[in-house]
Amino acid sequence: MADTKFGRYASCSSVNMSLPVQGLTNLECKNLQDYLQSRTPETLEKLYTHPPICLAVYRELPEIARQFIIRILFVDQPVPKAVVSSWGAQRCAKDQTEAASCLTNLNVWRVTAIPGGLAAWELSPTFKKSLRQALLGGGKPWTMTNTVEKDSKPRDISFLDSYAMSRWRCVLHYMVGTGARSSGTTDAEAISPDAVRILLHANLMKRDDRDGITITRQGFQFLLLDTRAQVWHFMLQYLDTCEERGIPLPECLSMLFQLSFSTLGRDYSSEGMSCQMLTFLQHLREFGLVFQRKRKEGRFYPTRLAVNVTNKEEGQVVRTTLTEDVHLQNSGYIVVETNYRIYAYTDSPLQVAVLGLFTELLYRFPNLVVGVLTRDSVRQALRGGITAEQIVSYLEQYAHPNMKLMESAIRSKSCLPPTVVDQIKLWEMERNRFIYTEGVVYNQFLSQNDYLTLRDYALSINVLVWQNERTRTMVVQKNGHDDVKRYWKKYSKIAG
Amino acid sequence: MGPPKKSKKDRGTVDKFAKKRRAEDEAYTQLAEDNDSSDHAVESEGVPGAASKNAETNDEHIMTDEYGAKDYRSQMQLRPDHANRPLWVAPNGHVFLESFSPVYKHAHDFLIAISEPVCRPEHIHEYKLTAYSLYAAVSVGLQTHDIVEYLKRLSKTSIPEGILEFIRLCTLSYGKVKLVLKHNKYFIESPHPEVLQKLLKDPVIQKCRLLRPEEEGFIEGTLEGKAITQFGTKLPATAGDTEKTAAEEAAGPSTSTAAAAGQPADGAPAVPDDITDFYEKIDKEEEDEDEANLKTVSFEVAQEKIELIQKRCIEIEHPLLAEYDFRNDTNNPDINIDLKPAAVLRPYQEKSLRKMFGNGRARSGVIVLPCGAGKSLVGVTACCTVRKRALVLCNSGVSVEQWKQQFKMWSTADDSMICRFTSEAKDKPMGCGILVTTYSMITHTQKRSWEAEQTMRWLQEQEWGIMVLDEVHTIPAKMFRRVLTIVQSHCKLGLTATLLREDDKIADLNFLIGPKLYEANWLELQKKGYIARVQCAEVWCPMAPEFYREYLTTKTSKKMLLYVMNPSKFRSCQFLIKYHEQRGDKTIVFSDNVFALKHYAIKMNKPFIYGPTSQNERIQILQNFKFNAKVNTIFVSKVADTSFDLPEANVLIQISSHGGSRRQEAQRLGRILRAKKGAIAEEYNAFFYTLVSQDTMEMSYSRKRQRFLVNQGYSYKVITHLKGMDTDTDLMYGTSEEQGQLLQLVLSASDLDCEDEKLPGEAGYRPGGGGGVVKRTGNLSSMSGGDDAIYYEHRRKHTGSIHPLFKKFRG
Repeated sequence: MADTKFGRYASCSSVNMSLPVQGLTNLECKNLQDYLQSRTPETLEKLYTHPPICLAVYRELPEIARQFIIRILFVDQPVPKAVVSSWGAQRCAKDQTEAASCLTNLNVWRVTAIPGGLAAWELSPTFKKSLRQALLGGGKPWTMTNTVEKDSKPRDISFLDSYAMSRWRCVLHYMVGTGARSSGTTDAEAISPDAVRILLHANLMKRDDRDGITITRQGFQFLLLDTRAQVWHFMLQYLDTCEERGIPLPECLSMLFQLSFSTLGRDYSSEGMSCQMLTFLQHLREFGLVFQRKRKEGRFYPTRLAVNVTNKEEGQVVRTTLTEDVHLQNSGYIVVETNYRIYAYTDSPLQVAVLGLFTELLYRFPNLVVGVLTRDSVRQALRGGITAEQIVSYLEQYAHPNMKLMESAIRSKSCLPPTVVDQIKLWEMERNRFIYTEGVVYNQFLSQNDYLTLRDYALSINVLVWQNERTRTMVVQKNGHDDVKRYWKKYSKIAG
Repeated sequence: MGPPKKSKKDRGTVDKFAKKRRAEDEAYTQLAEDNDSSDHAVESEGVPGAASKNAETNDEHIMTDEYGAKDYRSQMQLRPDHANRPLWVAPNGHVFLESFSPVYKHAHDFLIAISEPVCRPEHIHEYKLTAYSLYAAVSVGLQTHDIVEYLKRLSKTSIPEGILEFIRLCTLSYGKVKLVLKHNKYFIESPHPEVLQKLLKDPVIQKCRLLRPEEEGFIEGTLEGKAITQFGTKLPATAGDTEKTAAEEAAGPSTSTAAAAGQPADGAPAVPDDITDFYEKIDKEEEDEDEANLKTVSFEVAQEKIELIQKRCIEIEHPLLAEYDFRNDTNNPDINIDLKPAAVLRPYQEKSLRKMFGNGRARSGVIVLPCGAGKSLVGVTACCTVRKRALVLCNSGVSVEQWKQQFKMWSTADDSMICRFTSEAKDKPMGCGILVTTYSMITHTQKRSWEAEQTMRWLQEQEWGIMVLDEVHTIPAKMFRRVLTIVQSHCKLGLTATLLREDDKIADLNFLIGPKLYEANWLELQKKGYIARVQCAEVWCPMAPEFYREYLTTKTSKKMLLYVMNPSKFRSCQFLIKYHEQRGDKTIVFSDNVFALKHYAIKMNKPFIYGPTSQNERIQILQNFKFNAKVNTIFVSKVADTSFDLPEANVLIQISSHGGSRRQEAQRLGRILRAKKGAIAEEYNAFFYTLVSQDTMEMSYSRKRQRFLVNQGYSYKVITHLKGMDTDTDLMYGTSEEQGQLLQLVLSASDLDCEDEKLPGEAGYRPGGGGGVVKRTGNLSSMSGGDDAIYYEHRRKHTGSIHPLFKKFRG
């Protein structure tokens, strides 16, 4: 008797009441080190066979780590740890350890034991060889070579800059959904399926059964990055998928670094490149990293996007003509009013597009966009995975200088009207009004008495979530499930 | 390179947006307060054709861009020095103005003259060019080419051709002809003989013309005038002073901007010279015009056909401007009234009056000032300036008393000069200079007492110098027409805080009274401390689960009672009252629903006023609220929406309200707007709470109600949780038993209790809805304010058809 009951009871199902919350992770922006550290040692070993990669890695290392390497690069024996640490002052011991661990993580050097039982550092032979080659020359010629003949119509730097930015904006426009919709769409303004695949892979956009391809939360964050960081992040995602396309990763990376070592405004020859590298070059051409007049032409110009790709700090960025763009991006242009109006001093399609993500745009003037934040427009953005926090921080970041001068703005941290900020957050909150509790359902009790006993017990130990006497159903918290089960076993034993 | 697939879907959403917007607008119209649709056809007659023209439709053909925004980029070119110019003009008549521009002051003065403010928050203001606003601009003396030229200079871009066309269309024919009342005779006057010729070719006008045997052609005359920049009559010496200061004031902005232009090295953006130059030129022109002796021609028209000729002139697009040359009016005796020396006009009050008396004559029109900003002083000053017999019309007995007090406070008028004419107070009218009465007293059609009859006859015989119409937005055009047929007055001044009706019939006032002369900026007045700094808050009260279940299942009329009687709302209300009483504040609680009003008030043991409360009791409660330190909170129904002057109150709690009425929201805010002491010390010195039951219709109503004030630059703080409310054990309805009892009470309430209080004059008050003449005037007998005895008389007349609400309370 008791068994049957228990059997019935056992048929109750455990219901996980929490819904999967998708896309809650934030955009991860890796720098070169982070990226390489996340590769396997085997991959790294393969990468280090390419001198340009080693050179780039070397340039990206911390100051002290570079010192270490250059000192031991031409030493053919392992160097005892104690010796290495004696190179620096004691007070910098922490920096030294960091540098050392960085090198270890990158698989640039490793610990070996030298006779006498001392621990010593030894550079990875592949790395050593490649770096020596990069610095001293020799080995195989680099795939990128200077052109032999002079270009009859050389392109100047400003042309390359505007070309690069226009190409890159195509990608961004596609993300915010303007690329193909603006009037007079030409092929030049669309982006290739490959690029779309990368965006999807990078989780910057997602395919939705209902909406087609839409931008994700990470995509929104991506748009908020500066151009250099965007390109770098995008290229990393590209490299992730390049193997699938049959393009070997080490060669791509090597090529990318060679581009970054090249001179802006000079033309290079693609002669001698492998078939895969030519494909890669075409992709770079699409994103605006290189300029090539015609697909088949054996001549190309690296653009600023490519030259800057590995520079991690703003200060090192070769910047002369991106100023207009930078100026627009850095200075505020958005006025937010207490009546939820948004006035944006811009005619940049991209900025308008970003605004269009969460505002309802009303009028476009030559240098002004008028929009309004409505519940619908904000909710649409929220549905797309953008958070209220992101909207607010975007508006704050680009707030018009006049907004910051206001009395209330000076008093409080934010220069936005507090009611608008509150309202955006409330609009977000009203979407999350369910509270999810994981629980276990108990049902199909044989008698009212059994039901009542178990329910009262669950109630007494405070784990009852919900119950219905008529259908003899109850839900207990997941962490209370064990207690209730034990009690039930004991109870049915006594009853039986 | 595959094209993205997104386009199609996004268009879809854009359309959805547009549809939604439209749907929302429709919801508004349904909420219109006045569903007098039968009147509509009649009222639309008195509006000229041009007025129905709408710049809004100008941009219908304009392409929208990919976000559904109207794309004007192809319509205009950005000017190279756009950074120094303050505004954009959209092809649909909307104008956007940067408030931080160095020429803001000029541009603002200009825009307020030619357009309607749509929203004026902190940084960028939106205005709208309408036929009415342009009409108003012409009537204060702006010329078509001035408007166009100045707009061109201020704009960052070229002006769309459609807008220029619209301005020309609306301004060319306006303001050319004036209706002048001289020596008790009406004349049509114009400086342009050809316009009069054109008018006289019209057969209708021909019939109206009154030809005296000795006259054949036009009466020629010269118009001499000198700008009056001083209000009230004062000693000549001081007059000179004020004029001087006025001149200085006028010179002030131009010199300061000239200085700014002179030092571009400081980083201050240079103001393009053409803007300042032109501004000065317009200013000067206006003065020139005032001082020059203009040749005019005129012809006389028959007095009984005034209405007809006005209408006809409007139809042929030459609306008559009414101006009153009170200085040269020797026919009507001056009354001996002056402003007291203590009465000092604030700058904005002076500005508004200058618009009215700009050319030495009195123009008719409407002045819009926020509640509490001193509308009465403007009215009193206008009367003192004209110095002829004045008639003041307001909408309740209480405000009649308040007007009398205002006259005594600001002017030298004493009791013998001021005559009240209400059902309760009938002073002897003979020999008095100022008569204060209600709209309903004038338009009353039933039999009056002998005394009232006498007064009415006297009133009709008089030729009034000025008629001041308080809370002018509350009177429908029909009622106003009746007033006009009864009373002869030279000029009409409308005063209101909110020139706004949900049904947009407000436009008719433009042609019945006159154009809007001035509209103040709420935010600026608040910044300068002329009105209180109000913290607006919307308190969200979660619906008690039992109440919400009923709310979801029950029918509409009960729904409203359920969300008003929501126990957590009651608790919030009690908590706020307690909190503010401890601070020493004076609180008014508003409820449109009488059932809730009585329940809340009785439960909390506070006095309350609603429709049936007698005049005496009302005054007693108000006096107690003013002076008794123990009475700090009163409950009122919508009778207190307008004209209850409660200067002490600084906290307002709204527990139930009339749907999505923006006007009511603004009027209620006005109850606490009067500037408070210590105005600068605190960030806010007045509080306006709206209690809203979460997840009910109230939420969307509340959003709609706030639109007007939000556009004036107010911001509503949403409070989702009142700190300390949970721990307060004194609050009622804390337990579920008590809440259950409350629910029982609500469910057993009759349908009648579920409705808002209906005041006579509102649509719902009309029993049976018949359209008979008698009934209709009965409805108009008193508008929106507290009713005086006319209302009771009327009630007695119709014992068979009174509103069931009053049947219950009285019977």
